[in-house]
Amino acid sequence: MSYDIQITRQSLNALFDLKGASAAIESWAGNALPNLPDQPNSRTEKEAVELYHIGRDHWIARAPVGQEEALEARLKPNDCPADVSIVRISDTLTFFRVTGSQAGEVMAIACPLDLHDSQFGDDTVTYTDLFGLKALVMRCKDGYELAIEQSFGDMVEDYLARATA
Amino acid sequence: MAQSNRRASGGRIDRNRPVRFQFNGKSYEGYEGDTLASALLANGVRVTARSFKYHRPRGIVGHGPEEPATLVELDGEDASGNRPATTVPLRDGLSARSVNCWPSPDFDVSGINQLFARFIPAGFYYKTFKWPNWHLFEPTIRKAAGLAAAPAQPPSSGHFEARHAHADVLIAGAGPAGLQAALEAGRAGKRVFIADEGTEAGGSLLNRNLTINGQPAMDWVADAVQELRGMGNVTHLQNATVWAYREHNLLIVNEREPEQGSVLERSWRVRAGEVVIATGATERAMVFADNDRPGVMLASSVQAYVNRWGVAPGQRVVLFTNNNSVYAVAADLVAAGVTVEAILDSRDTVPQEALDTAQGITVHTGTVAAGVKGHKRLRAVHAVSAKSGADTWIDCDLLGHSGGWNPTVHLWSQSRSPLRFDEDLSAFVPDAAAQACRAIGAAAGDLTLDRIVQGGLDLPYAIEPLWRVDVPGQRGKAFLDLQNDVSVSDVQLALREGYDNVEHVKRYTTGGMGIDQGKTGNINIIGTVAMQKGVPLQDVGTTTFRSPYTPVSFGAIGGLREESVLFPYRHTPVTQWNKDNGAVMYEAGARWRRPGYFPKPGEGLQEAVNRECLAVREGVGVYDGSPLGTFELKGRDVPRFLDFLYSNVMSSLKPGDGRYGLMLSDDGLILDDGVAFRLDEHRWMVSTSTGHADAVNQHMEKLLQTEFPDWQVMITTVTSQWNNATICGPRARDVMQALGTDIDLSPEAFPFMSFRDGTVAGIPARVVRVSFTGELSFEVNVAPRHMAELWAKVMEAGAPFGILPVGSESSHVLRVEKGFLSLGHEVDGTVDAYDLSMGWVMSKKKPDYLGKRSVALRREGGSTRRELVGILPGDPNRQVPEGAPLTLGGRKEATEGLVTACVWSVVNERWVGLALLENGHARHGETAHVRLKDGVIPITIAKPVFHDPDGKLLRS
Amino acid sequence: MMLIPCPFCGKRNESEFIFGGPVVAARPDPNAVSDAEWVEYLTIAPNPLGPVQEKWWHARGCGEWLTIWRDTRTHDIVEAPNGSE
Repeated sequence: MSYDIQITRQSLNALFDLKGASAAIESWAGNALPNLPDQPNSRTEKEAVELYHIGRDHWIARAPVGQEEALEARLKPNDCPADVSIVRISDTLTFFRVTGSQAGEVMAIACPLDLHDSQFGDDTVTYTDLFGLKALVMRCKDGYELAIEQSFGDMVEDYLARATA
Repeated sequence: MAQSNRRASGGRIDRNRPVRFQFNGKSYEGYEGDTLASALLANGVRVTARSFKYHRPRGIVGHGPEEPATLVELDGEDASGNRPATTVPLRDGLSARSVNCWPSPDFDVSGINQLFARFIPAGFYYKTFKWPNWHLFEPTIRKAAGLAAAPAQPPSSGHFEARHAHADVLIAGAGPAGLQAALEAGRAGKRVFIADEGTEAGGSLLNRNLTINGQPAMDWVADAVQELRGMGNVTHLQNATVWAYREHNLLIVNEREPEQGSVLERSWRVRAGEVVIATGATERAMVFADNDRPGVMLASSVQAYVNRWGVAPGQRVVLFTNNNSVYAVAADLVAAGVTVEAILDSRDTVPQEALDTAQGITVHTGTVAAGVKGHKRLRAVHAVSAKSGADTWIDCDLLGHSGGWNPTVHLWSQSRSPLRFDEDLSAFVPDAAAQACRAIGAAAGDLTLDRIVQGGLDLPYAIEPLWRVDVPGQRGKAFLDLQNDVSVSDVQLALREGYDNVEHVKRYTTGGMGIDQGKTGNINIIGTVAMQKGVPLQDVGTTTFRSPYTPVSFGAIGGLREESVLFPYRHTPVTQWNKDNGAVMYEAGARWRRPGYFPKPGEGLQEAVNRECLAVREGVGVYDGSPLGTFELKGRDVPRFLDFLYSNVMSSLKPGDGRYGLMLSDDGLILDDGVAFRLDEHRWMVSTSTGHADAVNQHMEKLLQTEFPDWQVMITTVTSQWNNATICGPRARDVMQALGTDIDLSPEAFPFMSFRDGTVAGIPARVVRVSFTGELSFEVNVAPRHMAELWAKVMEAGAPFGILPVGSESSHVLRVEKGFLSLGHEVDGTVDAYDLSMGWVMSKKKPDYLGKRSVALRREGGSTRRELVGILPGDPNRQVPEGAPLTLGGRKEATEGLVTACVWSVVNERWVGLALLENGHARHGETAHVRLKDGVIPITIAKPVFHDPDGKLLRS
Repeated sequence: MMLIPCPFCGKRNESEFIFGGPVVAARPDPNAVSDAEWVEYLTIAPNPLGPVQEKWWHARGCGEWLTIWRDTRTHDIVEAPNGSE
């Protein structure tokens, strides 16, 4: 590997897609979630549950897969009112970690977004273009975490391996 | 003699590191730090190329990307074509060949073209090779013209890379102006990206002997580079050309040999807040008879070879100029021990400080070089006084000439920023900026060091323009563009023939095209046009500067996209099982790699497909339906949204039920077909065809966000939250029971077009009763994490019933036997639901839905429609190719339809097909004709269904 | 490759977006217009040499459909949606 990085394909996360006005989501599921992040493309965290604000009236809740059933029991996707949409999407995204001293350089191959400290902070999370695909990108310890539609997982792994060969 | 022209000392080369290389099969030696051009000159190689059209002998003219004459093809690992020898860094083992000549530039067979030169004027090819068409002649002409071929093989190791970068300031060029701008911006804490095409920073200072504050200018450069290296906010690249300036301050940089083992070249796409163009200036040629002979060089290039590479390209030099820059060249030559025979200066008076610089050298004022003697080697220059006409021949082996300097405005112009002609500088210079950019230094017209760096000493420029030398009686071609062999007479011919716009002159003569894009000659073409038309140069204007500024390899542009990642691809959890079980895999819509069919050893496609189809019709089969697009819709307004989206009524569905429907676009075309299910009061699930999942998502979001922002509908894409194994065939229910499920599978409890949630084989599942094969089907949807396990259990439970996996080829056969639609086959953008005998799907009750008005409008006209029919080839064993045209009686006339599909039907044991045919619905039982190149096939028109016409099986 | 202002995300690379065509007249009630008016609605789209109002979908971003005014001569975005700066 010519770049000083590690690429780690992660196992399943518990993921729930939340749509609706923030007040409506809070009143239905506020207790099960961290405070709703109000800034676009930012995240909050409480007790291992993270909340990403990645679109207008759109959030993704993320937790370790072991909490999936418990979180679903609290979010009650099938019972929530008409003005709130909660859908389990745990299987739809494959997460990778790109870490190491040259993680930023490899991300620059993959992604047109400016990931400089001044533009992309620790609490930033956003969808962007990654190898031509829609992908979620954020920082993690020593590097970046990215998530793409699960069916593209093998292709992105292939691409990252080529980029760093 | 080895390196006979190498000076004893001096130059930025490493004399302790000799380098062996080959040129046209001969072996030579140079030094680390040389270019191929400097090494050839050091070895006294004069004739290095043959010209494009006339095959005239040519030498090295320039010292950088402006080089018009010597293009080489590199062999071996460096394989690439059409590289200016001046831009090829020398390395051990390099092997280069001249383009345009065979067998060598010294003895070139096509050199005979020179004798016919007057028969090959501008526009010759356009006028001569026009019948029957140009494409007949082009390959031969290209070969004769002899530009290098593309390398046959990609590099054996390494790869290209493209990456993005972001900067507050991008600086193009690391000469004195660029370095100074970088220091200022870097010290101010800005994110700086500075890139320079040379292997070393310094720009023109590398070639000249100048001082800044009394110290050698290159010391100043070294200090600047050192300081920049210490700044974490500065990215400084050498050997990296900024070659394109696009909209919104996006620039593309091609970095060669980056410090990254496996990366051959790197393409940077830099988005910059501000762009600083510090690209310097390029010397332009003088235009006089035979100005292309080997030994005629740009004066600044002579200077560069002497100073930077320690090479004296000649021993007895004449210089020819219209400005002061050549006097510093003369001084450097004298200092290097080279004899300067004379300076010919077209100006009547030469500023005193210039004369002081060249003390002891004969200066002929008001004098031009009218022509030269020597064919492959320069022997003398014809000096003619412009006023008196007095002339003399001066013996020499090198002529250095300077027609003045052009600011290198390529990037500036690519940014769409205009140029203006500056009379004092006799050059086009940057005018007002069209994007956030500015030009500085020589690129902005500040052509001397004292105007760029404080403390820099330089001669004033003082040009008096001379667009061409015109001495009566002087014979010989005066070249404007050496690379394309365009002379003054070609431009005059173009003007006489009415091509008087500068863009037309360029295309008619090819002047300014090619690898060098006329860097040394374009302005002389403009000058020639201006003189001929008697207008100012400003009014003639320039041709459009386009990217790339210098050639860029395709690999660098493509980056990593090659081989397995040339196109994106998608897998399902069953992909590995498919591969392990011998599936022939290929892409089948929306980038999914799917199994086409599962041949047994020794089996061909048709046998495998027949076997799979028979299993579905008579026993049971299973296919992976995961790629189908799936969306969950939530909200109070979903029912009215779906009623608007689909042509039929969806709002009346009860929870647990589903309905097949068509989505139309508002112009009445069929956008997609699919199924909508009501999960509960406010939750719905919509499935789309695989290939249109993204398009339908876009369509729905566009409607909701731009047309109906007040409607409460929220969409979540769940294509990859649900995978499915679709079990189909008369024994499907048996397999479901063998798998074990808590769902009542009886047709009464679980009818066609409904779904049930439960468990299958212990896995949480949503089972849907739809059918794309016409057989009893259970689509077992599970989370992808369970898909591989489900698949294995289905194969195990199905084994006693002879279950087979079914690929997309068999799916196609099965749906054609049933006459089910396939978008892209039967639905081609002209067809509506009535043509498909699906008028029932067009709601009469709903006052409005997408496409309703347009379909009605089109049908009001009463024009003839192409309608879906079944076809039975007269010979049951004759396959009709898909797409084959139908014509009346099989005659050669306008088509009345086309065959959309034709498959071997396992239930009918014959070929059957579908077609779109004019008035087809009224022609069942008649004969129509397929017209092919090798004959006419009669076919019987039939109902488009060849199996279970009443649909009893799929509802069973 | 343009930088397109998204009201949710700010300026983003064009590669994150899908072009959605020029903004056309509002969809008329299809039951209240003549054939000619309906056909005009379907087929007449602005295509000026100069500023044009057009829709873009932030498909590889937040999913927003947005409207900008773009100068077709220069690619300058002469009017951006609220919140995108």
